[in-house]
Amino acid sequence: MNNAKILGVILRGLPNTLYLLVLSFVFATILGIFLAWLDLRQNRVARGVAHVYLGLIRGTPPLLMLLLAYYGLPVLLKGIGINIDGWTKLTFGVFGLSLGWSAYLSEAFRSAYLSVDPGQLEAARSIGLPDRTTFWQILIPQATMIALPNIENLVIGLFKATSLVYVLGLYDLYNEASNLSNQTAGIHQLRIFILLALTYWVIVLIIEGLFRLIRNRFAAIRA
Amino acid sequence: MLLTVNDLHKSFNGREILKGIDFQIDKGEIVVMIGPSGSGKTTFLRNLNFLEHADQGQMDFAGHQIDLAKPDKKEGQWVRRHSAMVFQNYSLFKNKTALQNITEGLIYAQGMAKDKAEAIAKHELASLGLSQEAQLYPAQLSGGQQQRIGIARATVLNPEIILFDEPTSALDPELVGSVLGDMRKLAEAGQTMIIVTHQLGFARQAADRIVFFDEGKVIEEGAPQAMFDHPQNKRTAQFLTALNDAN
Repeated sequence: MNNAKILGVILRGLPNTLYLLVLSFVFATILGIFLAWLDLRQNRVARGVAHVYLGLIRGTPPLLMLLLAYYGLPVLLKGIGINIDGWTKLTFGVFGLSLGWSAYLSEAFRSAYLSVDPGQLEAARSIGLPDRTTFWQILIPQATMIALPNIENLVIGLFKATSLVYVLGLYDLYNEASNLSNQTAGIHQLRIFILLALTYWVIVLIIEGLFRLIRNRFAAIRA
Repeated sequence: MLLTVNDLHKSFNGREILKGIDFQIDKGEIVVMIGPSGSGKTTFLRNLNFLEHADQGQMDFAGHQIDLAKPDKKEGQWVRRHSAMVFQNYSLFKNKTALQNITEGLIYAQGMAKDKAEAIAKHELASLGLSQEAQLYPAQLSGGQQQRIGIARATVLNPEIILFDEPTSALDPELVGSVLGDMRKLAEAGQTMIIVTHQLGFARQAADRIVFFDEGKVIEEGAPQAMFDHPQNKRTAQFLTALNDAN
């Protein structure tokens, strides 16, 4: 068995891995923005809800998040009359990872928003800009710039965490490699896992490259 | 009177920073506020622009009567739209170019069409000799350029009054002159201004009236010559001596 053949088998898992990465990131971002908004509100109930959620998610291993989503959610939802037996394993994978990463992203958004220089809002008010305009035109773009390094770290972390979906029996990069190793009675085990590691690393390099492009594009803006 | 303020009080955490300020300024008048740091000058300016919420006080601004303790939101916005502020640390919008910093208020506060706003901003930049910098972001500009654009951002709105909060205090000495030059031009054009500054030379030349603040009160006010050469109050004299010694 040569290296090209091993890589060929491993890369069969790439579509699933990328699907999990992209969709989980999108949903975790949406949920994270909502949580950050709840947490930044003056309303104590809203903040309480956000805090409990953040604490719970941050205090639980992502592997467990996936297992709970896969085994627990159908039972829970059946109790209130919703049937999700039709969901694919991939959907459960996205669900578990989105929940897990929403909390971390929410903290990145919240802290970035609070780091925007308060003088920016004052300057906008002093020339009579409506707060809503200031929020979208000034505060959010600057908060995004501040949050970018954290978001990059979280995307890389999420990418690596997609390997956990093997517990649901999903075939991603990691599970393809692991499966191949088992099928060949472990003879090529070391080579397979080294190639797998290199595959993950190359994709992380690509992610880093994308973020570098964004950073360079906005290099003149130092928020 | 363009602007009258009566009995303005403001406390932070139980400490009274402004202890009943009465102030008025005529259209076209230039008032320079001086005083030790912590005396309340900046807080006073910030209250005029509703960046702080006063505990007590009355304002009459161009015929609009406002209770400063409970300002109507619309009235507050009206005041902000007819006044503008220049900040010590410039506070240009960091994610906007020099040009956009100037057009932002025209477009979003005054509802002007974008191309018209850009034409005005470009003209303004040209008159300042800053056309080359139009597409640069604040981080790419010197402190002096940033502050001059901060002033342009305020002046293009044609505000009834511009409030300057120590506009040259954060600048390297060699950059102060260009900013003061812009302010002098505004003064000659009849712009109403309240300026908090320690630049006594500028105050003597440009101001119609000097107001001396100490410990949250207006201690003394008068024409620059009279105030600087023959201060009536002991604390005013002490402050001016200290400032002259420092220069």
